[in-house]
Amino acid sequence: MNYESIWLVLLFPIVGFLIQAFLGTRIEKMFGRRALGAIAVLPIALSFAVGLMITLSTKGGPEESAKIATFGNWINAANLKIPFEFIVDPLSMTMVLIITGIGALIHLYATGYMSEEKDYARFFTYMNLFIASMLVLVLGANLVLLFVGWEGVGLCSYLLIGFWYKDIANAKAANKAFIVNRIGDWGLTLGLFLIVALLMKTNGMAGDGRFLSYDSMLPALKTGLQQNPGMATAIALLLFVGAAGKSAQFPLYLWLPDAMAGPTPVSALIHAATMVTSGVVLLNRMHIVFEMSPIASAIVCGIGAFTALFAALIAFGQTDIKKVLAYSTVSQLGFMFIACGAGAYWAGMFHVTTHAFFKALLFLGAGAVIHAMGHNQDMRNYGNLRKYLPITFWTMILGTLAICAVGIPGVFGFAGFYSKEAILGGALANTHAQIQGIQVGQIAGWVGLGVAALTSIYMTRLTCLTFLGSEERWRKIPVSHEHDHEDDTHHALDGNHTPKEVSPSMWIPLVVLAILSVGGGFVLANGGAFEKWLYPNELPVLGKISTEPNNIPLALYSTIAAVGGILLGLAFYLKGLPKNQGWNEAEWSPLRRAERDQFGFDRAMTVATVEGGGDIANGLWKWFDVGIVDGIVEGAGKVSGGIGMVLKRWQSGYIRLYALMMLLGFVSFIGYFAFVIKGGH
Amino acid sequence: MNGVPLAAYIGLGMIMFTTGVVGVIIRRNPIVIFMCIELMLNSVNLTFLTFARYQMAARSSDALGMQNSLMAGQMMVIFVMAVAAAEVAVGLGIIMAIYRLRDSVDIDELNLLRG
Amino acid sequence: MYLLSVITFLPLLGVLGLFLLPESKAKSVKQTALVVSVLTFLVSLLVLFKFDGGSYAFQVSENHPWITQLGISYHLGIDGISLWLVLLTTFLSVIAVACSMKVDNRVRAFMACLLMLESAMLGSFLSLDLVLFFIFFEMTLLPMWLLINIWGGPNKGHAANKFLIYTFAGSIFMLVGIISLGYLQFKTTGKLTFDIVLIQEQVAQGKLWANALQAEPFIFWAFAIALLVKTPAFPFHTWIPDTYAESPIAGPILSSVMVKMGTYGLLRFCLPLFPDALPHQIPYLVTLAVIGIVYGAILAAIQPDMRRVMAYSSLSHMGFVLLGIFSLTKIGMLGGAFQQLNHGITATILFLLIGYLYQRRGTTLFKDFGGIKAQMPIFATLFLIAMLSSLGLPGTNGFVGEFLALLGGFQAAYANQFSMGLIVVAVFGVVLAAVYMLYMFQRVFYGKITQEENKGLLDLTGTEIALAGILVVFIFWGGLAPNTFMRPMENSINATLKMSTAAPGFRPSWSEEYAVEAKKHSAPTTPRLAMNMRIQP
Repeated sequence: MNYESIWLVLLFPIVGFLIQAFLGTRIEKMFGRRALGAIAVLPIALSFAVGLMITLSTKGGPEESAKIATFGNWINAANLKIPFEFIVDPLSMTMVLIITGIGALIHLYATGYMSEEKDYARFFTYMNLFIASMLVLVLGANLVLLFVGWEGVGLCSYLLIGFWYKDIANAKAANKAFIVNRIGDWGLTLGLFLIVALLMKTNGMAGDGRFLSYDSMLPALKTGLQQNPGMATAIALLLFVGAAGKSAQFPLYLWLPDAMAGPTPVSALIHAATMVTSGVVLLNRMHIVFEMSPIASAIVCGIGAFTALFAALIAFGQTDIKKVLAYSTVSQLGFMFIACGAGAYWAGMFHVTTHAFFKALLFLGAGAVIHAMGHNQDMRNYGNLRKYLPITFWTMILGTLAICAVGIPGVFGFAGFYSKEAILGGALANTHAQIQGIQVGQIAGWVGLGVAALTSIYMTRLTCLTFLGSEERWRKIPVSHEHDHEDDTHHALDGNHTPKEVSPSMWIPLVVLAILSVGGGFVLANGGAFEKWLYPNELPVLGKISTEPNNIPLALYSTIAAVGGILLGLAFYLKGLPKNQGWNEAEWSPLRRAERDQFGFDRAMTVATVEGGGDIANGLWKWFDVGIVDGIVEGAGKVSGGIGMVLKRWQSGYIRLYALMMLLGFVSFIGYFAFVIKGGH
Repeated sequence: MNGVPLAAYIGLGMIMFTTGVVGVIIRRNPIVIFMCIELMLNSVNLTFLTFARYQMAARSSDALGMQNSLMAGQMMVIFVMAVAAAEVAVGLGIIMAIYRLRDSVDIDELNLLRG
Repeated sequence: MYLLSVITFLPLLGVLGLFLLPESKAKSVKQTALVVSVLTFLVSLLVLFKFDGGSYAFQVSENHPWITQLGISYHLGIDGISLWLVLLTTFLSVIAVACSMKVDNRVRAFMACLLMLESAMLGSFLSLDLVLFFIFFEMTLLPMWLLINIWGGPNKGHAANKFLIYTFAGSIFMLVGIISLGYLQFKTTGKLTFDIVLIQEQVAQGKLWANALQAEPFIFWAFAIALLVKTPAFPFHTWIPDTYAESPIAGPILSSVMVKMGTYGLLRFCLPLFPDALPHQIPYLVTLAVIGIVYGAILAAIQPDMRRVMAYSSLSHMGFVLLGIFSLTKIGMLGGAFQQLNHGITATILFLLIGYLYQRRGTTLFKDFGGIKAQMPIFATLFLIAMLSSLGLPGTNGFVGEFLALLGGFQAAYANQFSMGLIVVAVFGVVLAAVYMLYMFQRVFYGKITQEENKGLLDLTGTEIALAGILVVFIFWGGLAPNTFMRPMENSINATLKMSTAAPGFRPSWSEEYAVEAKKHSAPTTPRLAMNMRIQP
């Protein structure tokens, strides 16, 4: 299929969105939920099919085979032109396949998961809109279209986090997600402005005015920034602020854990597999700028490594199964940024891909558990669920092995094994990401290795608490109302509750994702296939990127980290939670409490922004608006009022007095002219 | 000018005007006040006419000047009469309305405009 | 021939018509007002066909001497800058009249006020004579004052007087400015006139200010203060919260057009007529704009009343418009001019919706709401869309305007016109817009219904949806095909930019373009749609 058919990929989800939005409730009434669910899944599946056909006809790397399909004008202002144009190249098509492929599976899963919810059509309206926005993000051939998708996915994320809007906490989480993302967008916008201003100044009126289109912008930036490394750093850092917002890097990660308030399929699709990786996509798109700035690259690496470590530690303090996975996502995103900072862009994208497989799987598995346990999300209420949820258990085990990066070097590994090793290798081997001789990239590589071990431990903790151990933990519970729903279709978890394995529409996606998590990495890494597909040429500035550090037996180390972590985790948690992490949170050790509270960071930021901001705003209002400006205005009114009080005594209301005054005034006026002026001459 | 001196006309005008002014100020009945206003207007009219005639006589040597000044005074008089008529119509209407509202037209009782 | 006069005075004629009807027939009074406003809108659409976007000259113009002794003429004309504002005015007047069908107190006078206001606003967008402009500019005050004072909320008297005195005090400065301009023109050419085409001709040749360079900044500020009060810009904004909070629904809708008279005046008078003083004042003006953006947004976040949030949000949004205009770049000015229209549309739909809520509950305080999404899903969706446009989400009209205005500002800062820090802060205003808008949405729509009265709330009726729906169409039209609106403006904006930045003698003038136009129009031409006009490279 020709690259010009790319509009079809976009069209299907948009049509799906419109159908859901305008006819959704009607279809649901007439044909039932099953039909509506099918209508929701179908466009995404069709998009995937078209995307696959286009991908198969795409060959080679981004520089050669990037094809741009233009569909008319959007914004023409002076000499700036921003058309509706879409790019078909390996990067965009990789993302298209992830988005539509995983998206279709998650939609399918959601038809089961959401089957007891009230606003079925509304849910799929948002979901289809999300897919459409995400596709615009990756397919848009200029930064403004990317920005359209960028904010569009932010909107859908906002709407879906607040899907159960009757709980005000969800609404607040939604607001937080949108606003923190907007802070990232602030950086992205400024970066974009800086690029336009720079290119308009250097290239002036030359060219066709498409200053922000990748095909003309990237080469222009390459020549334009060569003389100006400071500018490269500025642009790179501003873009990174945007990427950090969307991809939940420190300190803008704050929104992602709260975003778990949304339904679980949303967490799987948006907050694990696709949207949160768009920061990595942006860095891949704009890699020329980062290549030219070692400082910016070092900062990307450093923030990535810090985020990976920070989030992995917090994951230990969480008892909500989705929160653990959320922090795990933040941590894995940190890995991707380490890769991008180190110049191993393909490794970052590789991890995006494998992470999409196994993290979607883990979230969907967690969703199945939550569904089976009456929407109770606290892992301390789980135990021995392998007996009741065998499919979920086994698929999640495979997903866990994939995220722990288990594998036998040179023989076979789960999906995460290959991508994580490429990242760590790229980081340890690189000399690019550095600030004044400090090899931040290599430090990040060592930190990453440690975080890999931590990942294994907390994922084992999750598995042990949920699927192993004794069922006494939830058998003992009398009644619980953890999740407050609008309709009482959900059974609250209690001692008599028997978890049931989920329906086929829910476990089929689990199985497919499990297969991808097991074999995906092996197939894609085979003979460096993924790297050759995504980056067939050397990087334009950095040249060849090695992911095999000399003198470091990385394969050995990472295997030790993965397997050792799992063994440690089993040792700690096989018998359930230790007492200092159990029900009574007052008994928790200070470290656990600090981890649970995100080391106080979230609280501090809330105090600084929400409460402090409110006080400042109130102060400003009272002081300036009400005090000074209105004070002056009202003061002026009062002064004139006072003068009026004096003068009004003259206004008796009697006509004759007025007439007399008029006469006297007239006479004195005439008199003045007749005698004084004339007399003067 | 047929022997009547200019000063006589002006004097009459002054007397009429002063009578009008004093009337407006001291009388309480709006109808009378109106009549006094008419008196003032008429005194002005008289003055206009007087000066028009007087000027015509003075400038009769200058043909063009005469043409120009010939009817200006008389024209103003017609204007004043038209305005006076309109004023009376509106004024009487207002007085009627006030009377209907308050059963009295004593202007000393009409001090709504007091500050 | 007299198209612009017809547009301007048709609503006033309608006022006369209204007073022929008896007060008791409220229904037919309302219908007449609606018919008049719709008719005015339809007539104003004719301008689109007559308008040629390829030229920056004033078109469809009428020029008659009026008070010749004082050099005041009755000169009307339309160009790319005023074209959409006129259409916006006539369009939003229809909305304002249509949403006031529930007024039951002194209907005739109410409708008369709306139509008078429409006439006055149209007049000020169309007049090309400074005195004529001033007359129309001031003519807006009275009906607005009456609207607030008679049909307003509990604190209406205070709000009405504040509005009147505030804006009137501001415009006194402009009167002084107008007289000085006329005087300078008289000194330069020996002929007294207030016609801006003639005045600008002298400015373009550098003659007008040649001997009055010291006075130029003062006269500039005399104009600027009056227009900034109207806009409103920080720190002249404190009239707007009271006005919005106390007036009936139609009030804020029309005043969201009325505030455009401020930015329009800046584009029309302050830029082209004071080119020598302008560069030195730009940093101050941009600073005011940026403070307005951030200050308005911060204060909007803590207001307890939806209408007050909207008032401060207007301050913030108009800050973007001002930033775009004062960036003195093509992109920025185009963005600013476009953002004016967007704000008109977006603010109107939000006010309309808030008004529907007010009609149902008699309050717009946050504490009286919460969780009403469950009761009013369609209302919530429409509100969401308008809110997204207001916070500048890509795909809606708000994005295009804000983006271009900020980009223009950035370009200017990059060229060292003013500090880059200002733009960095201004862009942060977009984040703050999300804060107050989402907070408002959360407090009104999310959560559980806590007030007993809200449990019986009815969703919008068909008419109400239709009225808001028309506006929603424009939100997406402006967002997805902004060129429809921006292209007719482009030539006028370019000319204005050159008038205000080029050196004397190189400045274009409206009068020379007139000559070109006259030649062109001597041959019969076919009517053109504004949308398919020739594109200037």
